[in-house]
Order: sequence, then C-alpha cells, then structure tokens
Amino acid sequence: MNIIASRLDRISVSQTMAITAKARALKEEGKDVISLSAGEPDFDTPLNVKQAAIRAIEAGETKYTDVAGTRALRQAVAAKFKRDSGLDYAPEEIIASTGGKQVIFNAMLATIDPGDEVVIPAPCWVSYPDIVALAEGKPVIVPCGENSGFKLRAEELEAAITRRTKWFFINSPCNPTGAAYTVEELRPICDVLLRHPDVWIFTDDIYEKLTYGGFRFATIAEVEPRLRDRTVTMNGVSKAYAMTGWRIGFAGAPVALVKAMDKLQGQSTSNPSSVSQAAAVEALDGPQESVEEMRRTYEQRRNLVVSMLNEASGLVCQSPEGAFYVFPSVRGCIGKTSRGGRKIKDDESFVTALLAEEGVAAVHGTAFMYPGYFRVSYATGTETLREACTRIQRFCEGLA
Amino acid sequence: MPALARRLEGARVAATYQMMARVRQLREQGTPVISLAIGEPDFASPARAVEASYAAAKRGETKYPPVDGTKALKEAVRRKFARENVLDFALNELVVTNGGKQAIFNALMATLDEGDEAIIPAPYWGAYPLAVEVLGAKPVFVPCAQKNGFKPHPEDIEAAITPRTKWLLLNLPNNPSGAACTRAELAAIGEVMRRHPQVWIMDDAMYEHLIYDRIDYCCFAVAVPDLKDRVLTVAGVSKTYAMTGWRIGFAGGPSSLIRAMVNIQGHATAGVSTIGQAAAVAALDGPQDDVPVQMASYKRRRDLVVERLDAVEGLRCLRPEGAFYVFPSIAGCIGRMTARGRLIRNDEDFALALLEEEHVAVVQGSAFGISPHVRISYATDEASLVEACSRIARFCAELR
Repeated sequence: MNIIASRLDRISVSQTMAITAKARALKEEGKDVISLSAGEPDFDTPLNVKQAAIRAIEAGETKYTDVAGTRALRQAVAAKFKRDSGLDYAPEEIIASTGGKQVIFNAMLATIDPGDEVVIPAPCWVSYPDIVALAEGKPVIVPCGENSGFKLRAEELEAAITRRTKWFFINSPCNPTGAAYTVEELRPICDVLLRHPDVWIFTDDIYEKLTYGGFRFATIAEVEPRLRDRTVTMNGVSKAYAMTGWRIGFAGAPVALVKAMDKLQGQSTSNPSSVSQAAAVEALDGPQESVEEMRRTYEQRRNLVVSMLNEASGLVCQSPEGAFYVFPSVRGCIGKTSRGGRKIKDDESFVTALLAEEGVAAVHGTAFMYPGYFRVSYATGTETLREACTRIQRFCEGLA
Repeated sequence: MPALARRLEGARVAATYQMMARVRQLREQGTPVISLAIGEPDFASPARAVEASYAAAKRGETKYPPVDGTKALKEAVRRKFARENVLDFALNELVVTNGGKQAIFNALMATLDEGDEAIIPAPYWGAYPLAVEVLGAKPVFVPCAQKNGFKPHPEDIEAAITPRTKWLLLNLPNNPSGAACTRAELAAIGEVMRRHPQVWIMDDAMYEHLIYDRIDYCCFAVAVPDLKDRVLTVAGVSKTYAMTGWRIGFAGGPSSLIRAMVNIQGHATAGVSTIGQAAAVAALDGPQDDVPVQMASYKRRRDLVVERLDAVEGLRCLRPEGAFYVFPSIAGCIGRMTARGRLIRNDEDFALALLEEEHVAVVQGSAFGISPHVRISYATDEASLVEACSRIARFCAELR
C-alpha cells in the first residue's frame, strides 16, 4: 500500500546524518568516539538570550505571531542588515522562519517550476540540491577548484547559466570548505549576474560572523545594489549565537517574494516559535561580546587543526577564511590500505576506516558533491580536537 | 523581478490572516475591536510547561534536535496516545512537527503527486485546500449540511472517491463548525473506506479535548482499528494546553509514511525548537487538572454564545459538540442593507460590515467552503463575548 509521492524518489537521506548516526551507535556501544561531524557550535546559547526567552514566556508571548515573524524581530533583523552590511530592508521585506533551512525551502517552492535550473557551486551543503529537487527543479552543480580556494570563478558561473536558470546559490563562508568571498571576488560574479536579469540570487550568509585573519565579510546585495531586487539575503542566529536548537532563520528579499514565502509558510508551519523569536531579538539587539569571544576561539582552533592535519601524511589542508570547517584532500591516501586492512578506494572508505579504527567521525566529501576530500568540523573543544588530529595523523601514517 | 512559480498562482493568504491584519490596522487607529476571528485559546500556557522550558534552556538544551523530535517528547507522545486515545504507536511511528499544520503539510507533500485528489469535507480549515493545491493536487469537497450538524455523510464521501483519491481529510471536532462525530458515525465512514484501499485517512484531532457534551468520541483509528495502517492521527499541544505560539504538533501513523514525512521535514525546517519540545513533555506528562477547568469555561461560553446568537433574527446557530467555534448561518441577512447603507450580498460582506460598523471581527464562511455562514471563535472572555453578541444582535436588528 505505497502512498509515497514520486518527489520523494528525487531526494536522498542526508549522508551527514548517516555518519552522525553511525558515530552515535558506536558511542552507545561504549566505543571512544570523537565526532568532528557536527554542523553546530559546541558553545551554549548566551545567557542574556536565554533570559530574554524566559522574560517573553513570563510576559505571555506564547500565542500565534504574524506568520512572517513579530514586528520586533523583523525590526531587529532590519537593524542587523543595516548595521552589518549597510542594507536597507523594510520590515515588509523581511521574513523569519523555522531555521534558515525553511527560508530556502520557501524560496524554492515559491519560484521553481518543473525543470527550472539552479546553479550551485560545489562543494556545497547537500540540502541545496535536495530542496531544489523537492521543488521539482534541476540542480546544476558547478565544481570549484581547490586551486581557487574552492570558490566559484566568474567564467564558471557564466558557463553554467542557461535560459532555464532560475537561481544562483552562494554560501560564504561556505559549509563544508570554510571558503569566503572577498568583495573583489564577488565583483566579477555580480557582473555576470547583472547580464542575466531572470536569475534570482540566494546568498546563504549564516556563517557571516565566523571569519578569521581580519577577513571582511561581504554579501551580494551590498556589493552590487542593482542586484538587490532579485536577491534573497539569508541569515540567522544559529551559528553566530549558538542557537541551533531555537530554530530561527531570516531573510531580506523583495516584497513580492516575501509575500509568496509568507503564503507558503502560512500553509506549512505558520510562525516560528514565539519564544524563540523573542530570544532572537535579544541575540541581535543585545550585547555582542559573546560572538567575538566564540569567534576568537574558533580561529585558534582553525589554526590548530589546519597545522596538525597538514602534518598528516597524504593530507593537504587549506586554511579557510571562515565557518568552523576545514576540507582537506585525501587524494594522497587513495589506493592505500589501512593498518586494519581496509582498502582506501575513495573519500567514503577513508572516513569509514577512520571511524572504525581510530574512532574519529568526519564526513566524506561526496556528501557535499565533491569527492576526494572530507569535512572536519572544529566546533568542539580544543583538547578534543588535538586528540582527534593526533588520531588522524596516526591513521594516515598507518596507511601503506 | 524574475518570475514566481506557477504553483503559487491562485494561492491565497488565508482569510483568517487577512481578517487579523485588518483588526490590527483598526486597533492601531485606536478603534476598540472585539476579535472573534482567531482560533487561539485565551488562557496562559501551563506553569509546568513554562518551568520545563526554563529548565531546558538552563541545561543547555539549545542544540539541533533530531528531525523527528526529541526522544523525551516522542516517548511522552507515545504515552499520551496510549493513555488518552488507546492507540499504541512505536517510536518510529511518531513524528514531532512545527505545529499540527506541519504534520499535515508534510504528509500531503510526502504523498500527493500532480493530479492526485484529496477529499475534504466542508466546512473545512482553510489550510487543507491551500496545501493540497500548492502541491499540484486537487481538493475534492464534500459539503456537510447544517441540518446534518455539519457532519460528513458516508455516502457523500463514497461518491467523491475516484481512482486518483489518496486522502480523506477528517477534522473532528471541526474547525470551523465545532462538529464532532461519534464512534458509530466514524465506523460508518470506516465501512466506506474499507472498500477503497487506495485512500488514506488523515484524522486531524487537534481539538480532541474540547468536547462539551457526553458523546462517544474517539479517534478514527480507534473506531476503525482494522484500517489503522492507513490512518495518520494528528494532534498537538496548541489547543489543549493553550500553547499555540510554541509550535508543537505531532502525528502517529504507519512507519513508512512517518519516515517520508521526516525526510520532508529534514529539508523543510529540520527539527522543532528544543525548549518548546521540553515544554510539551511537561504539558503532556504532568497533572491534567487545568484541562477540565478550561473545558468547563469553554462550555459556558459556547452555551452563552449559542443562546444569544440563535435568538437573533436572520441568524441560525447550532450548538456544536466541540472546538471553540460556532458557525451560524446568516442566510436571513442576505440581500439586506446595514444601518450605514452597506448591502449584504454574501457572508464576506456581512463580516466586513460587522467589523466596520460594530467593530466585531468574525470570519466569513466562504473561507471555510460553506456559505452563507460566519465563524465565531469563543476563545475569549465572557464579558467580551456578551458585548460582542449584543453588537451582532444590534447589527442584525438594524438590517433593512
């Protein structure tokens, strides 16, 4: 009695979750497992934010809000865009959703007709192609070279755009590579987009606050104001304020698209949690010291992990601009055999063997549409990272 | 601006939201409006739920939850279904969602292919047809007459079934009519469904605890146990515990369907706010003495509203079994003119004129698929209800 719709055949179960589940199962068996597969901060939500949530509950903010979010939150988001990027968004041009993911889901469902194409630079977060496929669109994956820092070049974008192209996705800083685009790197990309007025632009800026080495974050609507009216500038509180569990993402976008997303959200979930919205207001409007503290810690960890992984034989690891991931190449390990007798055929067999033999969980590059690499999340304690990297070094040395 | 998707053509914003927006406008202009337009309890969320959410925030339960719900909440939901509904579910037959709305949307998205049909007895909650249509499927309405207490008749349902029918969407007690079916009435619907094995039954039991007369109510899956493997039972904490803003719903059904719903949810929003889930555990597991107290209050209000409205010339108001709505016919007002010269051609005219002239907000029946009626929510205090009813009486008395 199969009732399942055909659209489900087009999407995969997240491989990131698969490896996380495997690591959890090993842990429950009592194995000593270090997980470097998490896509979330290891910090706790700042105290002022929690207290704001509690105050909101006490004030009875436990009722339905506007589907697109409370006025207070949309004003806080408008202020954030102005403060951080000089962008002017009216509250009517802003929607708050249950996580940044729902912004993507709403935007794709609101715009994609069957067969429309969406240009996605890879390596990428797999949710992009999956959501596009759910909306009956066609993901067009454009691999970016490691030699250009895993960043898309203007001519690659130009070559990928066709008459069916509906969207261009950009995620800077990027999950899984940590790569972030400078203003100078965004400029030529904007020039290409200016030539294609029927293409929407989705900028996933969720890692904005996590950049290192003096990097200055920029987003497309700011770099090229003429693209603003077809850009969805997406952001959220999850990564910057360690608030993944609260489920609040948001976006600035043209009114017509915001209205369409609002309709879809009204049909699928209604407003994001009223309590979480109040917490997000405090995160955005309140003191920002905790963000800088966390950022500094991530930067130290990035430096540690990059240097230790580059000491592992067979691995090559770039030092990326942001996020909390590195994306080393395992190509120097392919074709070898581990101490435990496992053949390393590809990135997946590498991470499987690493988990089995050293108890370190990381996600293979294929899960991000980019084989030959693996993603290491450094959103975990420094000592744990040191131990994990030591184990990875030992594992690589054991390859023959 | 690049184009929106065809699936959004004709997609409307729910009339309830439109009415709420108008109420807000009037209030901002300083007009004191009594709103009977919204389907939301006026009580506060229970103290035990509030305290549990504080504790969860303090404990640091602020990380990504599993997409299908925390283990604690799924276990509490399992206990709830077993205790209150005599329904046994395994944990992989349960999912926690962002409101009951998301359970319904996910189930429809997971199952409806283009051109599939879903049978929706009318009057219905406006979210059903909107969701079905946006997914490219076709809502097939089965009108339920006021003289039959707005209850679906088995033979009408059978007549609407075609080879493309995938769902029958039941909502009992019903929004907007308040109608609830007895076990025997459900069994008669079950007779029909047994003959059509391709059709699944969605039992939206969000108002299950709001039943005021001693009727033999139960869930569809309990009334027709042999069809349990094609029934999805949807419920939540919003109405029973006055927790609308927290956005916590859940559903129980066959694991194959639940798995597909979780897959969709993983791409649409990921998991549900962690502190909301902690609050829901406490609401479900704690002492339930607040539920009968609120029920008694709703019952008094229902009786108060029904008596007053049914005495108004031009209105005919049934005394429904449950929910917190009445759905009077305004047939006697059609074709007449208000005191300020507005012609009442239909129920939308009635609702708008009532709002403009007497500052009472109700929602027109056309938003729920049956005209000429209006939906009146009595989830507000008795003094406001008494005042609103006398304004409605005056409005009707002055019709020429």
